[in-house]
Amino acid sequence: MYLVSPLVLLALVALAGGAWSYWRARAQGVAALRQRPQLWALPGAVSAAAGALILLAPLNFCPFAVDEDGHADRLNVMLGVFILIAGAFLAHRVVMALLGRRLRGEGLPGSAETRQGLYRGPGARLFALLCLAPTLTILAIFLYYPMFDTFQLSTQLARLGAPRTRFVCMRNFNQLLGDPDYGRTVLVSFFLAIFIVLFSLAFSLLIAQMAYRPITGGRIYRALLVWPYALSPVIAGIIFQLLFHNTAGVLNHILDTLFGFEVSWLLDPGIAPWTVVIASTWNILGFCILFYIAGLQNVPDDLLEAAAIDGASAWQRFFSITFPLLSPITFFLVVTTTTYAFFDSYGLIDFLTAGGPVESTTTMMYEVFEVGVEARNLGSAAARSLLLFGVVIGVTILQFRFSRGRVTYGS
Amino acid sequence: MRKTFLILAILLLTGLTLLAPVQAQGCSADAPCELNALIGFTDHRLDWALERAAEFGEMFPQYVVNIEPFSDYEPLLDSYILSQEQGNPPEIMQLFEVGTQFAIDSGYFKAASEIIAGRDEVLGQAVDFDDIIPVVSSYYTIGGDWSSVAWNTSTPILYANMNILGEAGIMDLPETWQGVEEACAQLQPMMDSGAINGCIVWPNHGWFFEQWLAQQNTELVNNGNGRDARPDQVLLSSEASLNIVQWHKDMYEAGYYAYPGVQRDWPGTVQAFNAQQIPFIMTSSASAGGIMRNASDNGVEVQTSMMVYDAEVGWTGNILGGATMWITDGLEPEIEEGAMAFLLFFSNTENSASWHQTSGYVPVRNSSVALLEEQGWYAENPNFLTASIQLGESQVTIATQGAIFGTFVETRNIITQAIEDAMLTDRDVAEIMAEAEAEANVLLEEYNLLYVDE
Repeated sequence: MYLVSPLVLLALVALAGGAWSYWRARAQGVAALRQRPQLWALPGAVSAAAGALILLAPLNFCPFAVDEDGHADRLNVMLGVFILIAGAFLAHRVVMALLGRRLRGEGLPGSAETRQGLYRGPGARLFALLCLAPTLTILAIFLYYPMFDTFQLSTQLARLGAPRTRFVCMRNFNQLLGDPDYGRTVLVSFFLAIFIVLFSLAFSLLIAQMAYRPITGGRIYRALLVWPYALSPVIAGIIFQLLFHNTAGVLNHILDTLFGFEVSWLLDPGIAPWTVVIASTWNILGFCILFYIAGLQNVPDDLLEAAAIDGASAWQRFFSITFPLLSPITFFLVVTTTTYAFFDSYGLIDFLTAGGPVESTTTMMYEVFEVGVEARNLGSAAARSLLLFGVVIGVTILQFRFSRGRVTYGS
Repeated sequence: MRKTFLILAILLLTGLTLLAPVQAQGCSADAPCELNALIGFTDHRLDWALERAAEFGEMFPQYVVNIEPFSDYEPLLDSYILSQEQGNPPEIMQLFEVGTQFAIDSGYFKAASEIIAGRDEVLGQAVDFDDIIPVVSSYYTIGGDWSSVAWNTSTPILYANMNILGEAGIMDLPETWQGVEEACAQLQPMMDSGAINGCIVWPNHGWFFEQWLAQQNTELVNNGNGRDARPDQVLLSSEASLNIVQWHKDMYEAGYYAYPGVQRDWPGTVQAFNAQQIPFIMTSSASAGGIMRNASDNGVEVQTSMMVYDAEVGWTGNILGGATMWITDGLEPEIEEGAMAFLLFFSNTENSASWHQTSGYVPVRNSSVALLEEQGWYAENPNFLTASIQLGESQVTIATQGAIFGTFVETRNIITQAIEDAMLTDRDVAEIMAEAEAEANVLLEEYNLLYVDE
């Protein structure tokens, strides 16, 4: 039994998709269609309904199901509506974009450039596919299949080694969304990511600015600066554990000897996240320095000289010329350090704080490991990794949106 | 052209299949059968196991025992499960005590009693399970049957650095929580001066909680601690449970318990004790070997005594810890015989005694204890006797037999986390434990949904 029949849901989605396409066609469609926008409404309706169907049919529309007493879970329904809209939106977007290009006489995106190839004539397509086959096979086995499996697992009660699995619809997501601890984990992940990105970029730019100039022994010096990046996050975690350990740590020993006080680096839930930020920043710093040095060496000296002659101060030269010219590198580093903070900091956290104290350094990624590997709860871990995936995609899209117009790739 | 290619491919495949090594028919010295065993040690305890494996290979040239070491029990179990899923499991696996219910539910293993089938010996290796000490047999026999073969058994005990205690004028080791608090108060000036970094340490690990629960004769799960029937409730809100967590909190807030801030920190806590930063440590008796070696290297006098208990409630007994050896189900009869013979050899009287001397694990056979006494081992090394006394004097009750349930491993982690939350935050202990109980019950419910036939 359903709260709303799947057929009614699909009809509603189709109606919305059709109406949207009709409106879009009237407003800005191809000239031929502007007169008959109703033609445009049909593919819009079908693609939106198909998108919703593709995502919800494997779930048997379970988010909208009611229990024996006729009650539907509110969170379940909300998740169901989200999936419905997401599926409809994505399918509608893709289908309509492709149709639009077709009607305008354009091929697939980018095909104008690729058509001028060496391999033309009969068999060219097959040959191209053959060349792509190794890559596609590897992608299919190691990326697409696990991803599909993760989607499937996230709707199941599944444990490693268990004789059976059980379909539980949105239960794994439901448990997370209703859990204040999970909310805190998300906040911790963002807190760490924001400060790791900020600190690593700021410090690396500062150091690179000092180190990129041709000085005696510059190569050795620069190689040493990149050194921390050569260590895996695990090793960095162990090093900082030795430094920051509350009783046996080097840092507290020095602080105590010199100033007569100690800091609970790993014991205080308010301080431990900062310890992780410091260690992660140190770990990724070399990577950022490497890119900034390369970038700084490419900033044209004549521009800087001209500005200096015009009377611009060192600060003005830096903020008006150097920093804008470095924007592609900065943008690249923002994306990569964000990815590091969300995913790769896991090893460091495991060896430095193990997610504690009081889960104050438990990130979304660390929890995926704890739940999936340590507790063997594959279903819940799959749901967590999908949410993490969604968050990182969202952050990356925001970064691209935000950087539009601010990143310049030369003349 | 296409047809020729197809025929060639089929011919090639057939050829390869025929050439593939045929499963050895029977085990012989020329073509010995492999017995692969996963164990969870990588230190001197691994060396001991490798030596025994080599000895067995000399005695039975038709077998080769390959020991594959793991850093911990949990990755070992994961590796075993994955090898089962891939259809290529090793013959023998070491599994920690809390995995017992999972091992039975998984259907991966054949019970030791079933393999032995009432015989007195297997390939000349004596069975004699009556010789096993009662605390071990009461834990690992379920419904009167041995599911696995006992090997490493431990219990937490108290170790004390007598050099430091001497400086504070403490001559006798505390036996109770209250005794520890008194000793710590006496050590306070040394903590204030920075001579030591705390009074006592133990790894924050659910195992200690379980021990203190058993001492207070309280069960961890319902249905007779999971031994009468499959349990469906984890009991973390009992008076005894709250008492234990509250004591952690009190000891931490008084500055006595030197919590390193990292959960399950076995090596770190031992290191703090070995470095003479903390005068008391409560940890596994299996650490006795390492701690005593370090003490004699550094001229430190270390004494051990039984795990402290709450004097206001009294002491019923302690539970064992450690692991047993399981044999994979579905092996060829000859390989199964070899695996069982190896395990019987591995834990016979002499080897059990030598294993105890190497590691500090409790000798699991009465005859091994007698042998060690005869050799004068305990007279020379009284600290190694503490664990045996503690387990020997424990009353066998439902609580001290230890709980059996499928999500024991995960529940341990929940308890560990709850204790940390209680110590490091201002939240109410009862509230924290009620939440932990609810979380553990959800896991148990999910486990039962997947494992119990309807």
